[in-house]
Amino acid sequence: MGTIHLFRKPQRSFFGKLLQEFRLVAADRRSWKILLFGAVNVLCTGFLLMWCSSTNSIALTAYTYLTIFDLFSLITCLISYWVMMRKPSPAYSFGFERLEVLAVFASTVLAQLGALFILKESAERFLDQPEIHTGRLLVGTFVALSFNLFTMLSIRNKPFAYVSEAASTSWLQEHVADLSRSVCGIIPGLSSIFLPRMNPFVLIDLAGAFALCITYMLIEINNYFAVDTASAIAIALMTFGTMYPMSVYSGKVLLQTTPPHVIGQLDKLIREVSTLDGVLEVRNEHFWTLGFGSLAGSVHVRIRRDANEQMVLAHVTNRLYTLVSTLTVQIFKDDWIRPALLSGPVASNALNFSDHHIIPMPLLKNVDDRIPVTSTPAKPSSPPPEFSFNTPGKNVSPVILLNTQTRPYGLGLSRGHTPYSSVLGQGLAVPGVGAGQGLRPTFPHVPSRYGNNRTGQPRP
Amino acid sequence: MEEKYGGDARAGPGGGLGPVDVPSARLTKYIVLLCLTKCLKAVGLFESYDLLKAVHIVQFIFILKLGTAFFMVLFQKPFSSGKTITKHQWIKIFKHAVAGCIISLLWFFGLTLCGPLRTLLLFEHSDIVVISLLSVLFTSSGGGPAKTRGAAFFIIAVICLLLFDNDDLMAKMAEHPEGHHDSALTHMLYTAIAFLGVADHKGGVLLLALALCCKVGFHTASRKLSVDVGGPKRLQALSQLVSVFLLCPWVIVLSVTTQSKVESWFSLIVPFTTVIFFVMILDFYMDSICSVKMEVSKCARYGSFPIFISALLFGNFWTHPITDQLRAVNRAAHQEGTEHVLSGGVVVSAVFFILSANILSSPSKRGQKGTLIGYSPEGTPLYHFMGDAFQHSSQSIPRFIKESLKQILEESDSRQIFYFLCLNLLFTFVELFYGVLTNSLGLISDGFHMLFDCSALVMGLFAALMSRWKATRIFSYGYGRIEILSGFINGLFLIVIAFFVFMESVARLIDPPELDTNMLTPVSIGGLIVNLIGICAFSHAHSHGHGTSQGHCHSSDHGHSHHTHGHGDHGHSHGFTGGGMNANMRGVFLHVLADTLGSIGVIVSTVLIEQFGWFIADPLCSLFIAVLIFLSVIPLIKDACQVLLLRLPPEYEKELHIALEKIQKIEGLISYRDPHFWRHSANIIAGTIHIQVTSDVLEQRIVQQVTGILKDAGVNNLTIQVEKEAYFQHMSGLSTGFHDVLAMTKQMESMKYCKDGTYIM
Repeated sequence: MGTIHLFRKPQRSFFGKLLQEFRLVAADRRSWKILLFGAVNVLCTGFLLMWCSSTNSIALTAYTYLTIFDLFSLITCLISYWVMMRKPSPAYSFGFERLEVLAVFASTVLAQLGALFILKESAERFLDQPEIHTGRLLVGTFVALSFNLFTMLSIRNKPFAYVSEAASTSWLQEHVADLSRSVCGIIPGLSSIFLPRMNPFVLIDLAGAFALCITYMLIEINNYFAVDTASAIAIALMTFGTMYPMSVYSGKVLLQTTPPHVIGQLDKLIREVSTLDGVLEVRNEHFWTLGFGSLAGSVHVRIRRDANEQMVLAHVTNRLYTLVSTLTVQIFKDDWIRPALLSGPVASNALNFSDHHIIPMPLLKNVDDRIPVTSTPAKPSSPPPEFSFNTPGKNVSPVILLNTQTRPYGLGLSRGHTPYSSVLGQGLAVPGVGAGQGLRPTFPHVPSRYGNNRTGQPRP
Repeated sequence: MEEKYGGDARAGPGGGLGPVDVPSARLTKYIVLLCLTKCLKAVGLFESYDLLKAVHIVQFIFILKLGTAFFMVLFQKPFSSGKTITKHQWIKIFKHAVAGCIISLLWFFGLTLCGPLRTLLLFEHSDIVVISLLSVLFTSSGGGPAKTRGAAFFIIAVICLLLFDNDDLMAKMAEHPEGHHDSALTHMLYTAIAFLGVADHKGGVLLLALALCCKVGFHTASRKLSVDVGGPKRLQALSQLVSVFLLCPWVIVLSVTTQSKVESWFSLIVPFTTVIFFVMILDFYMDSICSVKMEVSKCARYGSFPIFISALLFGNFWTHPITDQLRAVNRAAHQEGTEHVLSGGVVVSAVFFILSANILSSPSKRGQKGTLIGYSPEGTPLYHFMGDAFQHSSQSIPRFIKESLKQILEESDSRQIFYFLCLNLLFTFVELFYGVLTNSLGLISDGFHMLFDCSALVMGLFAALMSRWKATRIFSYGYGRIEILSGFINGLFLIVIAFFVFMESVARLIDPPELDTNMLTPVSIGGLIVNLIGICAFSHAHSHGHGTSQGHCHSSDHGHSHHTHGHGDHGHSHGFTGGGMNANMRGVFLHVLADTLGSIGVIVSTVLIEQFGWFIADPLCSLFIAVLIFLSVIPLIKDACQVLLLRLPPEYEKELHIALEKIQKIEGLISYRDPHFWRHSANIIAGTIHIQVTSDVLEQRIVQQVTGILKDAGVNNLTIQVEKEAYFQHMSGLSTGFHDVLAMTKQMESMKYCKDGTYIM
């Protein structure tokens, strides 16, 4: 008894939470349309299932499962609206973007499992073919077809649209594309409809309806009841063909894999990173897609003992940031204890530099303290550090000073810096003399850009 | 100049789509001739079908070969011209002749079995069509979707002939008593077909398909010989001659031992001559001319279309009075007009044959071995070219099986699943076999249910196997997460099953069917035993304390076995301690448990029905089981979802919280941001964190301390980014792109004004 009570309590709150989230989503005007379609879909599916049992046709059942899949895709659409509204929570630190992916994956897998069930049923039917009544067959087909097409074309289903674009082509699409290429050779005007590839959902709806029409014709003309089973198998296979690439794509996202299409770009970036001065090795690279599209990743970079960690970190981050939005870079050195104790130059240089560094530090602290109150910068009392961007070359100089002993570093640094110093130079050429002063006020923005994501993020 | 341009323009479309191209006048002549020959060949085959009713098949082939050899020796003069033929070559020619005889025997026997129309449809495919069909079916690089489509059409056409063609003659042919066969040979073939258990004309279809493959192989093999001997025509002449000598003794024996059905051989001279000319000589010469003058693919395409069309036409009109002039024999046989007539299936399959011949014979683009991977934004197709080295690296099948078996048996998870899968499959096949033997539909459909379930086990096995693969570029953390995905899919599978059981039991609740419970009990007890073994094995291995052994059984109530995969409520009471969680094994276990529940449900309901006659017990049991399955799957799905959504692992939540508090107390540390911790797979907890420190501490020391703290908390794949103030300064400099600079200058200008304003003030 006690366990039942324990069990019930969280469940009720679960439903309560669900209801609350649902209200949140339902507040949006766009989701009303989806809810309306969902209601019509349930009604339609109910009717179709009734007709399935009255006609005893398994092909129509297979087609009805596509309607049920439509319902899932509507739910996915709702979820994607909800995801847009939700902020990351401490437990789900990456946010809920992945829920979209999971919903797509689950609905495609469910559609395939339904198709598997159809295949099993058809195998049984081949042994003992029951009689099919064609009465409602055609009606059911057209109701389902028109409803499916209407849903597909009138609702902008972001996650499914993305997946169907990004996933590899299904065999059905490939064949249609191949056929339509020859058709478009004759009538070029059609190419806008059929090429490069058709929407897979529209395609499978049309193809399924076509199979059902053939079934109807053959049963009416010749009483070939086996055609029903055959077209059920055909629809199930087409469902497999259509859903499989999409579930593979979303499954790969869920498996935290590197998407193959960015591997080339990533390789290029990593090559660039490994040629940065001071970088010895890049390892443990993990790059994966967070939701549909945004990349996340982490990488370990081994650097020379005498290299400047923060400089390398900034450069690596800067390179990879163009592609990977959620990035963590760990810099590590071998034998880092030894140089700290033994090498005189570094220590003395650090001392030399202490006055330069002491200036910025309070700023960071200030920024950190200040941010919870207001994110606006420009605190006149603490002027930005003078040393940094007054002249294009100046920001480099302290670093070179720091490493006077190591020639290669200085050389490499000037090489590595060319992108931004030249850009800066070009940019500065326009405003002319006032450049240095003009840049200065913008500086306080920077920590807020790179250092203050913490604000939105409650500490666990 | 202009004329030349015009000619080019006309030749332009020639390379493209089939029917559109305009062949030059020279080729047109050959194409017309080719079409004509093919039509005549169709006539000849219809004729020979009529002849074969009167003449014994061996005699028929003998006469055919004799006539052909006579004419060819006359035309080709193989002995007086060309090189002399060595003894070795004679042996080869002999082999060639034997093979040729066997193939023509198969061909004409197929003709007697399924009629001229179907023979023409099946057998008259050129080599190139069959070769590209086989390459699509048996090699991975078939040549793009078009070829696949062509192969699919071919198979559909054959299936149409097999399944949807209700040929009236079958009944008639089936009546023939075994003793009436004219010779041992035909008797043997008949017995072979009867052994296969198919109707005669279906046997004929299969026979012809076999003969077609043989023919293609034969042609390919004899190509070298024909070069050696001095041309295919000479080879053909010699080979025909040899086969005449081969068949000669057999025919003599036959004509001595059996009495001929032929009244007068003289009346058959004209039909035989037409058959010899149309089927053998004319066709052979025309093919060899066309293969010289035209491309093979074009030849095949123009050849196949007229022969199929004329076959269809003749098939419809052969017995009609219109064609009486064409029919040289059996003018009186009008009453037999019903046999091998056109049926819907034949027409459909003819259409498919024409399509597939057209597609398969179209020239494949050589050198384009890449696979289509998608389309560029402009709409041009993008291909992925694999090096040849990749394509040839496939292992031999036995070796592959051996290696994967070794891998499976290496680890306990996959080993258990594998053994249980074997047990399950064994049970399934025993059930299926017994079902076929006793002709019990219930058993067979239950067998299909078991196969359906086995698919979940197979998936679990694959996941267990793959999860041990080494990490790659794409799967940078390794494949361990596949187990979780597989567990999730298994959970969805169980939900689908629960849904179907639920629907069916509701339907039965409304309208309870009468059940025949005789067969159920032994089967469900068998299933129960099998699944109990599985439960013992799996729960022992995982000591998760799924002690509640619910039985399961594969229920088969005849006709529609309700598939009850229940599975017990194990999940709610004991949460899994995260460390050893393996979603894959959990999914498999739940599946087995569900099956066990199903068996128990069937046994209970059988007992209730037999003892008390409560027919409502069956749907009620199913309903109960469906609910049980559903409830027990929820925890699995929930856990798998949490992992897939990269949630902070609940079992580490507290420790991580403490760890983060500890981190904050590290000396020199200002703050941290973006702490992400998630479970990647059963044994990888990954984490990333950004840490801001004061500029006077050593980063590596911080990294070491933080790593130590988080490792203690259970995170074993960690990336720590240590940031100092200098980092933000560098970043601000580096991230200044051109646009940023522009924006800055604008801002600067506004600032200036602002400053001016302040100055003024």
